[in-house]
Amino acid sequence: MSILTNAFKGMDVVRDRWVGAPKWVQLVAVLAMVSFFFYLPYLNVLPFAYIRTDLSSGGTDWSSVLFLCVLYMIVAVGLNVVIGLAGLLDLGYVGFYALGAYSVALFGSRESVVTQKIASTFGLSEGWAVPFAACIPIALAFALVAGVILGAPTLRLRGDYLAIVTMGFGEIIRIILRNSDWSGGPSGVIGIPRPPGPEDAAGRPFFNGLDVERWYWFALVVLIILILAVRRLENSRVGRSWLAIREDEDAASVMGVHAFKFKLWAFAIGATLGAMSGLLFASKQGIVEPNGFALNLSFLFVAMVVIGGSGNMVGALLGAFLITYLPERFRGFAEWRPFAFGVALVAVMVLRPQGLVPNRRRARELEDRKQQAEEAAADA
Amino acid sequence: MCGTFLDTPSEFGKNYMDFNNLFDHLGAHTLDGLTKGSIYALVALGYTLVYGVLKLINFAHSEVFMVGTWAVLGTYTVLGVGSGSGLGMVLLATVVALFVAALASASVALAVERIAYRPLRKKNAPPLIFLITAIGCSMVLVEVFGHVLRYFFGPPFGRAAVSVPSPIQTTTLFEVGGVGFTNVQLLVIVGAVVMMVVLDTFVNRTRLGRGVRAVAQDPDTAALMGVNQDRVIMLIFVLGGAMAGVAALLFTIRFDLTKFDIGFLIGVKAFTAAVLGGIGNLRGALVGGLLLGVVEIYSSALFESRWEDVTAFIVLVLVLMFRPSGILGESLGKARA
Amino acid sequence: MRRNTRYGFGAVAVSLALALSACGTTDTDGEGGDDAEGLTASIGIMGALSGGNASIVIPSVNGAKLALEEWSAEHKDFKITLQEFDTEGDPAKATPAATKMATDENFLGVIGGAFSGETRATKGIFADAGLTMISQSATATDLTLEEPSPVFHRVIGYDEIQGAAVGKYIAEVLGAKKVYVVDDSTTYGQPLADKVRATLGSAVAGSDKTQEKQTDFSAVVSKIKTAQPDAIFYGGYAAEAGPFLKQLRDAGVQAPFVGGDGLYGADFPKAAGEASEGAIVTCPCLPSEEAGGSFGADYEAKFGEKPGAYAAEGYDAMTIFLKAFEDGATTREEVEEFVDNYEGEGLTKTYKFDEKGDVAESNVVVWAYKVQDGALVADQEIALG
Repeated sequence: MSILTNAFKGMDVVRDRWVGAPKWVQLVAVLAMVSFFFYLPYLNVLPFAYIRTDLSSGGTDWSSVLFLCVLYMIVAVGLNVVIGLAGLLDLGYVGFYALGAYSVALFGSRESVVTQKIASTFGLSEGWAVPFAACIPIALAFALVAGVILGAPTLRLRGDYLAIVTMGFGEIIRIILRNSDWSGGPSGVIGIPRPPGPEDAAGRPFFNGLDVERWYWFALVVLIILILAVRRLENSRVGRSWLAIREDEDAASVMGVHAFKFKLWAFAIGATLGAMSGLLFASKQGIVEPNGFALNLSFLFVAMVVIGGSGNMVGALLGAFLITYLPERFRGFAEWRPFAFGVALVAVMVLRPQGLVPNRRRARELEDRKQQAEEAAADA
Repeated sequence: MCGTFLDTPSEFGKNYMDFNNLFDHLGAHTLDGLTKGSIYALVALGYTLVYGVLKLINFAHSEVFMVGTWAVLGTYTVLGVGSGSGLGMVLLATVVALFVAALASASVALAVERIAYRPLRKKNAPPLIFLITAIGCSMVLVEVFGHVLRYFFGPPFGRAAVSVPSPIQTTTLFEVGGVGFTNVQLLVIVGAVVMMVVLDTFVNRTRLGRGVRAVAQDPDTAALMGVNQDRVIMLIFVLGGAMAGVAALLFTIRFDLTKFDIGFLIGVKAFTAAVLGGIGNLRGALVGGLLLGVVEIYSSALFESRWEDVTAFIVLVLVLMFRPSGILGESLGKARA
Repeated sequence: MRRNTRYGFGAVAVSLALALSACGTTDTDGEGGDDAEGLTASIGIMGALSGGNASIVIPSVNGAKLALEEWSAEHKDFKITLQEFDTEGDPAKATPAATKMATDENFLGVIGGAFSGETRATKGIFADAGLTMISQSATATDLTLEEPSPVFHRVIGYDEIQGAAVGKYIAEVLGAKKVYVVDDSTTYGQPLADKVRATLGSAVAGSDKTQEKQTDFSAVVSKIKTAQPDAIFYGGYAAEAGPFLKQLRDAGVQAPFVGGDGLYGADFPKAAGEASEGAIVTCPCLPSEEAGGSFGADYEAKFGEKPGAYAAEGYDAMTIFLKAFEDGATTREEVEEFVDNYEGEGLTKTYKFDEKGDVAESNVVVWAYKVQDGALVADQEIALG
C-alpha cells in the first residue's frame, strides 16, 4: 500500500518539476520522448527489452501491440474531450469507432456490398473502390454527422440519462451492422484497403502484415497531429467554454456561453477522433466484424480516460497505454488477467480517485470535495 | 432506421414484419412480455434505490443478480431436488432458495458498498469514479464465477452455461381467450408484484423507510435530523440486493439457467427499465420493467429476436425525448411522505 | 525533489544512448540450425484458449500436444516445440499473434485459426510470410472457396458441406416435411443455417434469427408452435441452445431438435439439462471411438477427460507437420510443398488437400450425435452427396 502511495507521490513530484521547467527544457524533453517512441519497436537492449511483449512463449508481436496502444490512445484523446473537458459521460463511444472502421470497409473494399452497388449503378469498372485517402474524409464526415445526429436530441438530457442513451446508440450501431446485408452481416467485410506506399525490397506493399512498425509509426504521426490539434482547442475559447460548462452549466449559460452548442462540438469532435482510430484499425486488420465493437469496449475506453486522470490528456494517454499494454505484456497469466484487471481498476480508483496523472484543476477540486466531506463528517 | 430492416428481406423470411403473428397471439405475447418484464423490474429496483439516494449508477448491480442465480443452483444441489421431487420438497426448496439467493445477493451488494463505494464517498469523489469502480467490481465478480472458483473447485463454475434444474414443472393452469397461463408465468409476475408492494410499503410506511426518503430528499438536513446516513445507505444496498436475489430465483425458475456473464445483459436492460420508468422512483421501476419486457417480446414477434435490443433502446430514446425524466418522473424522495 | 527530475531526464538519455548504440540484443536467431539430423523448430497453435469459447478450442490443442509428445518420443533428435497463442477468439487479438509467428523464423507451421473470423484476419499475414496454416476447426466456406490463400489448409469440411449434410439428414433420416430453422445471427450460425435452408428448400416452414446472450425465446417458441414443424434446426452455440430448447419443450413442442457443431461437446447437455435428452447434434468430426487406434484412450489417460470437439482434428493437423519434418523439410517452403502434396490416412479421414486447401468432399465425414443421459453419443454417419 505504502509503496503504491509513494509511487503516486513520486509521480506528482515529477509533474510539479515538469510544470516549473523552462520552455526549452520541455521542448527538448518532448522531442527526445517522441524520438524514443519512434524508436520503441527496435528497443531490444537488456534490461529495457523486458518491456517487449514478444519474448516469452506465446507472446505477441511487439510492434502490433504498440500499434494497438496508439489506436486506443487516439480514442482516449477523443473521449477525453467528451468526458474530461466537456464533462459528458459517453458510454457508446465504440459506436463511433465502429463507424470509422466500417466507413473505410464499406467504401474502400472491393468486396463490400456498398462499393459493388455503387459500381454497378454508375457503370464503373469491376473492382472499383474508393481509394484509401478518400476514405478518410468520408469516415470523418460520417462520424461528424453521426455525432451531431446523436448529440442533438440527447445532449439536452442530464448526465446520467445521457450515459444510458449513448450506450443505447452504441449498441444500435453494432446491431444494425450485424443484422444488415449491406454491411456484410455478422461476418463483416474483408479486403479493406491499406494506406498507399511504395513497394519494399521484398516486393510487398509498404504497409503489410509483417512490418507492423510502419503501421505503428503512421498511427503515431496521426496521434501527434491530433494531440497538437486538441491541445490548441483546449486552450482556445472553445476549451474554456467546455471548462465553464463542466464546472457549472447554469453559471456558464448566464455568462453567455451557449452550452448546447459547445457540448455538441465536443461530442462531434470526440466522434471524429474515435472514427479516425477505427479507420486505422480496420485498415491494418483488413477485416471488420460487428462483434469487434461490443459494449464492453466502450466501458474499457471510459476506464482508460478515468484511470489516467479525466481532463488531462497526458493522463488519458497513459491510461490508454497501460490498459492496452499490461494485459498483452502479462499474457503468461492467461485466465487470471481479467480478474487482476478488475482488482486493479477498483484499487487504483479507491486509492487515487483523481486518476494517475490528474488534471491539476480537477485534483484541486477533488481535494476540496474531500475536505468538505471531512468537515461534514466532523460536524456530524 | 425502419428502412434498414425493410430493405433487406432475407431470402427465406416470408415477410419481414409479421403482423399476423403479433396480433393472432397478442395475449400470449403480452403475458410473455410481462413475465420477462417482471424480472427486469425487480432488478431495476436495485438501480433505482441506489440512484434515488446516492445519485449514483451502481453498475455492479448486474453481478449482484448473477450471484443470486448461483446461490439458487447451490441450494438445489445441496437439497438434492430435481424434477421428480414431491410437492412438499418443491415448496421447501423454493422457499429456502428464495432466502439463500436474497441473502447472497444482499451480502454481495453490501460488500461492494463497503469495499468499493464507501472509501470513495468519504472522499466525496465525482460520480464518474464510482462508475469505473463499479465496472471493476463487475469484472471481479464475473471472473470469480467464470474462473477463480473453477480454478479451486472445478465445474459447475466456469465459462459454460449451466442448467439450474428448477423443481417446478411448467404446466398450463388455465386458459383465457386462447391464452394459456402457466404456473411459472403466474409465479414470476405475482412474485415480482408482491415484492414491489412490500418494498413500496416499507419505504413509504415504516420508520426506516422514512429515513431512506429523508436521505434521498436532502442528505444534509437528514443528517441534522439524526438520520444515520451510512446505515440508510447500507439498507438500500441490502434491499436492492435482496430484490435482485428474488429476481434471480424467478429467473432460474423461468429459464433454468445460469452463466458467469448472465448478469450483464439483464443489468443493462434493467437499468434501461429504471430510466424508462423514472430512475429513483420505485413504481417507475415496475412500470419501466413491464413496458420494456412487453416491447421486447412484441418486437421479437413482429420482426425477429435479433432486433429486440434496438427496439428497446429506440423506445427509451423516444420516451426520454418527450418525458426527459422518465414515465413517472424521479421521485424516491418526493414520494408521498 | 530536484534529484527525482534529474533521474527522470537521465533515464531517458541513458536509454536513448543505449538504444541507439544497440549493443546487445535479445534476438534468438541462429538457434534454428539445420543439422542434417534433427531440427529445432516451433509450431504455433492459435485460438481462444481463455474466455467463453475456450472449451471449443482446448481439446484440439490437447490433441496436437498428444501428437507431438508421441512423435517426439520416437524422434529424439528433433526438437519441435508447440507454442500456444491465445486469441480469445477475437480477430483483433489474433493479428499480433500472427505477426509474431510470421516474423519469427523458428516457426515452420501454424495450426489454426480455430475460428473463422480470426483465420480471415490472419491468413494474409501468413501468406506474406509463406508460413503454412492447417486449421483444425475454421469452417467458413469463403476461407477457401471465395478467398483462397496459398498457405491455408484445413482438415475439416466446410459449412456448406455440413449444412447440406444436415439438410439431407433432416429431410431423409428424420423424414421431416416442415422444418423450422433458427440461427443466432453470428458469423458461425447464420451461414450454416442459410445452407440448411437452401438444402431443405420448400420444406422450410419458417425461419427466425435470434442473437447471442439471449435467454428469453418465448416469441420464437410461439412462432414455432404456430408453424407446427416436424423438426427444428438451430445454428448457434450451447449457451443459447440450452434455454431455447427448454422453453420449446415447456411449451409442448416435441419435434426433434437438431443443432450444428456449435453444440458439439459437453457444454450443450449441461446447459439444457433434461430438455436436451434426445436432441441431435451434427458435427463434421469423427467420434473418438471410430478414430481407431488408441487415440481415445491415450487422450483420456493424459488429459483426464474424453476427447472433446476437434481433438482428433488437432492431432491430425499436428501429425501432418511432423511428417513434413520427418520427410526432411527444414524451411517454410519445404513444409508448404510437403503439405500441398501430402496424401495420407489420418485419424478422422484420408487427407489430400486440393489447390484451395480443402480435403476432398468425398473424404469429409459428418456424424449425427444424440444426447443420451446427459452425454453426446455417436448415432450415425450422415451419407454425403
